[in-house]
Amino acid sequence: MKNLKIYKLLILIFATTMAISCIQDDDFDTPALTVEPPVLHGTEITIDALKQLLVTEQTNNGNDILTIEEDYYITGYVISNDEFGNFFEEILLQDAPENPTTGVKVLVNVNPLFATYEFGREVHVQLQGLAVGYDSGVLALGVRNGNQVDQIGEAQMTDYLKRDVTVAEMVPMPMNIADFSVDKTNLFIQLSDMQFHRNELGKTFSAEETDSFDGERVLESCATGQTAIFSTSTFADFKAVTLPEGKGTMNAILTMNFFGDAFNVVVNSPDDIHFDDTNRCDPTEVDCGLASTTGSNVIFEDFFETQTDGQPISGNGWTNYIEAGTRDWRAFFSSSTNASLGISATIGSFQSGDDSTIAWLITPQFDFDAQDGETLNFKTSNSFADGSTLDLLYSSDWDGNPANITSATWDIVPAAYIVQDGDFFGDWFDSGNVSLDCITGTGYIALRYTGSGDADFDGSYEFDEIVINSN
Amino acid sequence: MKKLFLTFCIVFLSSFLAQSQEAVIKGRVVDTNSSVPIQDVAVSIQSSNFSTLTDADGKFMLSGANFPQGEQVLLISKDGYQAQKIQITIQNGETINLDPILLALDLTQIEAEIGTISLSDNELDQDEGTAFSVSGLLQASRDVFLNAASFDFSATFFRPRGLDNANGKVLINGIEMNKQFSGRPQWSDWGGLNDVQRNREFTMGLKANEYTFGDLAGTTNIIMRASQYRKGGRVSYALSNRSYTGRVMGSYNSGLNKEGWAYSVLLARRFATEGYVDGTSYNANSFFAAVEKKLNDSHSLNLTAFWTPNRRGRSTAITEEVYRLKGRKYNPNWGYQDGEKRNSRIRDISEPVIMLNHYWNINDKTTLNTNVAYQFGGIGNSRIDSGNNRNPLANYYQRLPSYFLRDPNPTPYDYQQAYLAEQKFIKDGQLNWESLYSANANSSSGFAQYVLQEDRVDDTQFSANSIFSTALADNIQLNAALNYRNLKSENYAEIVDLLGSNGYLDIDYFSDNNTPSDLQNPNAIINEGDRYKYNYDLNADVITAFAQVQFETTKLDYYIGANVGQTSYQRTGKFENGYFPGDRSLGDSKKENFSTYGVKGGATYKITGRHLIDLNAGYFTKAPTMRNSFANARQNNDFVVGLTEEKTQNVDLSYIYRAPLIKARLTGFYTGFSDVTDIGFFFTQNALGTDDNNAFVQEIVTGIDKRNIGVEMGIEAQVTPTLKLKAAASVGQYVYTNNPLLYLSSDDFGIDGNDISTQGQREVALKNYHVAGGPERAYQIGFEYRDPDFWWVGVTGNYFSNAYLDISNLRRTSDFYTDVDGLPFNDYDENVARELLKQEEFDDYALVNVVGGKSWKINQYYVGFFATINNVLDQKYKTGGFEDSRRANYRQQVEEQNRENGPLFGNRYFYANGTTYYLNVYVRF
Repeated sequence: MKNLKIYKLLILIFATTMAISCIQDDDFDTPALTVEPPVLHGTEITIDALKQLLVTEQTNNGNDILTIEEDYYITGYVISNDEFGNFFEEILLQDAPENPTTGVKVLVNVNPLFATYEFGREVHVQLQGLAVGYDSGVLALGVRNGNQVDQIGEAQMTDYLKRDVTVAEMVPMPMNIADFSVDKTNLFIQLSDMQFHRNELGKTFSAEETDSFDGERVLESCATGQTAIFSTSTFADFKAVTLPEGKGTMNAILTMNFFGDAFNVVVNSPDDIHFDDTNRCDPTEVDCGLASTTGSNVIFEDFFETQTDGQPISGNGWTNYIEAGTRDWRAFFSSSTNASLGISATIGSFQSGDDSTIAWLITPQFDFDAQDGETLNFKTSNSFADGSTLDLLYSSDWDGNPANITSATWDIVPAAYIVQDGDFFGDWFDSGNVSLDCITGTGYIALRYTGSGDADFDGSYEFDEIVINSN
Repeated sequence: MKKLFLTFCIVFLSSFLAQSQEAVIKGRVVDTNSSVPIQDVAVSIQSSNFSTLTDADGKFMLSGANFPQGEQVLLISKDGYQAQKIQITIQNGETINLDPILLALDLTQIEAEIGTISLSDNELDQDEGTAFSVSGLLQASRDVFLNAASFDFSATFFRPRGLDNANGKVLINGIEMNKQFSGRPQWSDWGGLNDVQRNREFTMGLKANEYTFGDLAGTTNIIMRASQYRKGGRVSYALSNRSYTGRVMGSYNSGLNKEGWAYSVLLARRFATEGYVDGTSYNANSFFAAVEKKLNDSHSLNLTAFWTPNRRGRSTAITEEVYRLKGRKYNPNWGYQDGEKRNSRIRDISEPVIMLNHYWNINDKTTLNTNVAYQFGGIGNSRIDSGNNRNPLANYYQRLPSYFLRDPNPTPYDYQQAYLAEQKFIKDGQLNWESLYSANANSSSGFAQYVLQEDRVDDTQFSANSIFSTALADNIQLNAALNYRNLKSENYAEIVDLLGSNGYLDIDYFSDNNTPSDLQNPNAIINEGDRYKYNYDLNADVITAFAQVQFETTKLDYYIGANVGQTSYQRTGKFENGYFPGDRSLGDSKKENFSTYGVKGGATYKITGRHLIDLNAGYFTKAPTMRNSFANARQNNDFVVGLTEEKTQNVDLSYIYRAPLIKARLTGFYTGFSDVTDIGFFFTQNALGTDDNNAFVQEIVTGIDKRNIGVEMGIEAQVTPTLKLKAAASVGQYVYTNNPLLYLSSDDFGIDGNDISTQGQREVALKNYHVAGGPERAYQIGFEYRDPDFWWVGVTGNYFSNAYLDISNLRRTSDFYTDVDGLPFNDYDENVARELLKQEEFDDYALVNVVGGKSWKINQYYVGFFATINNVLDQKYKTGGFEDSRRANYRQQVEEQNRENGPLFGNRYFYANGTTYYLNVYVRF
């Protein structure tokens, strides 16, 4: 009897210990991710006011960086998203979810940042102790390191960057390439009626052999023909995705390249590109291919040797027309590395200050029924063409009046080789024997230069030794 | 009254039953308390050669005409009982019947048993990197050196004779339990079963063993037969601050009843919210049941099943910098969630075993034991899969002060950032689970940024064997065994917690083209419980046969043994890896076969009863373990190039001295290994032959030769009946003896999958480097005091030296000095290089350990406790560590080792526990 009691007691102790020694090492619930309104200190100023502080410092003391001593804070909304790797260790804030005026880039040594500061999140930045300046050409906030704005460390991230409860619906601000300016950088914009330039089709976002750090692609406006540089990090998840081929709108961030010398359009993810319209706005083509030989008969020829260096191209039936901007085609001579061929024709918007540069050089009219086997040959060279493009065009319905150039139909002649941005600037490139044999009736041949809209980032093209032969 | 009557009977019978010219001494030995007969009790006439053992009924008989006549002393002894001395008067023609002889349990022995097992259990449960070869020593050994090694040296990674756990064999009921994958026994598979694992037979080294050929570090056979347990029950409770904080265990054994049935059950639980190291949770249950039926005198059938599910939060090796900031209890793997410490690296082991054993006594000289066993379940190791995000652990190198001070001339900004990082690391330094959930919640793709994954190995193993034993003559014993094992091992990664996300996109986030893990199912969205990343089976078939003959003569005992075996391995890919399309990764690999054999022999020469010389020698080959057979098993079917059987040669020679007061052993040993294969894996920035030298690689080293040489000794002196002094020492040298061949395998080497075509299999200059793993030299002095009142205490002082860091192989190849163009660095300086490549030797250290216990008998209950305090002086020391192969070339090392504020990728160390205790309280009935 007594034994039984002791057994019972032992069993009870045993069972109790088993029960209370439960260890919880898995089966955790997803925590409720609630955000409490932050406790802020100091005075709120606008991002624009922050920029003005820097401008004042630049004006008064000539410093491009300012450490903020006052207890200020700013409020902004996150427009960058590093989830797909196209932004890295930076948060871009703009001052309003809609119709923003100013944006700022905050440098933070944390990856990923969207885990805390996701797209649309209202964020306050306590400014005291931080420095404002420029990083890669855009307004930036961070910690001062000498005369540079450097990253906020992980340890201090939440001391400076305060998350608020709101996640705003971000409305991209409609913008045209012509409106790009430094003031508009760090903003979430919408570009409409856009497409990737036809030369970019088939390429990936940034996984081509030649891409290092960033892949730069030419984006063009169907409405204006203006181009812009679309940039993607080679660390982006979608680097190997092929560029969309249609046209449409794109929600993007306007920023600048690493060197701070050119505007870049950057997306958070390919989902922000809505190029659903399959009707691209490429010019129609007149493509007779390349001919194996040229005929012996010369219909037209100009080596520009009779032109005057530095003066607009004129005479010999040329139409030299400025559609936009201030630059026209000029004669030039050079014997440097970047040599001309005797006297050559050149066009470029570099340092023009133009919002947009479009310049035409049009041949006299030809009658393609008058002979057979017409071919076109010319040479081109470039000087840092960068964002600018040069097209070879043909029109059968232009009436010869410069005022009607833009309303006429101009088809592209794709068979010709025109110098590419990647080609060595000192060399001249042959167009090849561009056949015009399939053209009937009368028409004009034209060269059209289009600047990128960022004149400081554009270069020049040179053109020479045009010959049209027939059998 | 009863006793008096019995005594009277003995005297009465002994005087009347003796009629022949022989003297006969017979009797029966029973347990004082239970009156159960005791088998295998040694009975001998003091100062003579006459001795015998009791049978299953506790009976014995000694008879002969040449017994010493007159007043003699009969010695009755058995391990675990208090020895008896009985005065008898022998006279030829007389029979002495002693029935019953009452033998009482020796509580101190039981205590020692409990102590040993509990201690070793603790050390063995450590992570793989730390579980070394005390395996065989788990029984309370009578050998002083082995006692020292298992009690006091084990905490330091000390490995007797420099041998790894994989060099020892563990059998349960005669079936080998070492894993085919690693060659090591998975102790957790029977953890917490201490009460039913007291019956152990340990054979040192390659000495004759009746079950198996054995291995260098010895063979332990754990007998878990229901009929072999002493009737009774036990409940115990243990408290500790080592790996678990509490253990409760209850067991009951029925003993063999009249119908021939016996059963045994055990239930135990070990637990801790954290052990000595922060965040190391411990959650283990143990279940055991055995039932045996004695069919008749010659046949017994036993069924044993045990299941010990075990979940443990793991810790990791840390750098000197981290240790300096956070101390030896630091563990980066955990973080708070819901106010609890959640460890991201949980090891989950659950591998139940069922076995059926048949015992057949063919006749009184011959037995045949046939066993079949089935093991299933698996092992999982969890960790956070960060995709292409920054490693979220707080000790990631970019979060440490050294990272911000990496430039030769840090700016004030750098110092500021380093300080802030340091303060954050000191104050927090743990994983932030909420940020992982937050990243998943904010993920606009809807796919997981972070998940908790488990790398799983699910084994299904069938084993069968027959063990035959016969006495060819009175002094010749033949043992033979035939073994078969079939293993199917499923290896895969699985998501165990999506951390609030909706799914995980199964691609290689480090690839250029989002390479899918399985071309059969590209862009698969993975949910909890789904396999991803890799998925393959490893199949093994092993057949071995063993035979051995033992001879006994008055002066010389000797044995010879041999074995042969055939092992085959095959991989079956279930994913078609994006880097290795087609049957390179999918479906069956070719089958590799390994033929193995071994011979051994040994002798004990008895100069006198007190002086013995013991010699053992062996040569044998072993199939490489499965782990070391595949070049990149997670991604393809490739076998290791140049894979072959390992060869081992061994000889040891001992002098043994056995006097009543002094016992001593001195052994010299030599072991040579050759053709050993070793595979490691790591991320390196020195993978020549890849696009940017960065690659996650498998480093495959083949043809490694090693030599273990040394002496070990133990001596004890029973100064007084209660006080024993003891000393033990081991002095060894364990070194590489050749320059083996190395190559790397990785998907970064293109379709080749390895760098042989560009770099070749190049030499690793390992010769004369020390093989890492615990101190090569260990010394102990100590004493034990055993009070007649059933309490005892022991103190030992231990000293350790010559422990070495595990070196990086890649740093010791030509890759070390080769520039990207294949030519040596133009600034390579051999003297500088020699300094950079010097093997680190750890500081010497001393440990003091105290053990003690007491027991009482209250009615029929035995109540007692046992306690140990290890590292009483709170000595800080490193038990091991390894070099990093991330920055493995000359220039990288010059940079790393010369950084004023410490290397970014420094050596990583295992820091030992400080003062720890273990207390066990038990009740036996």
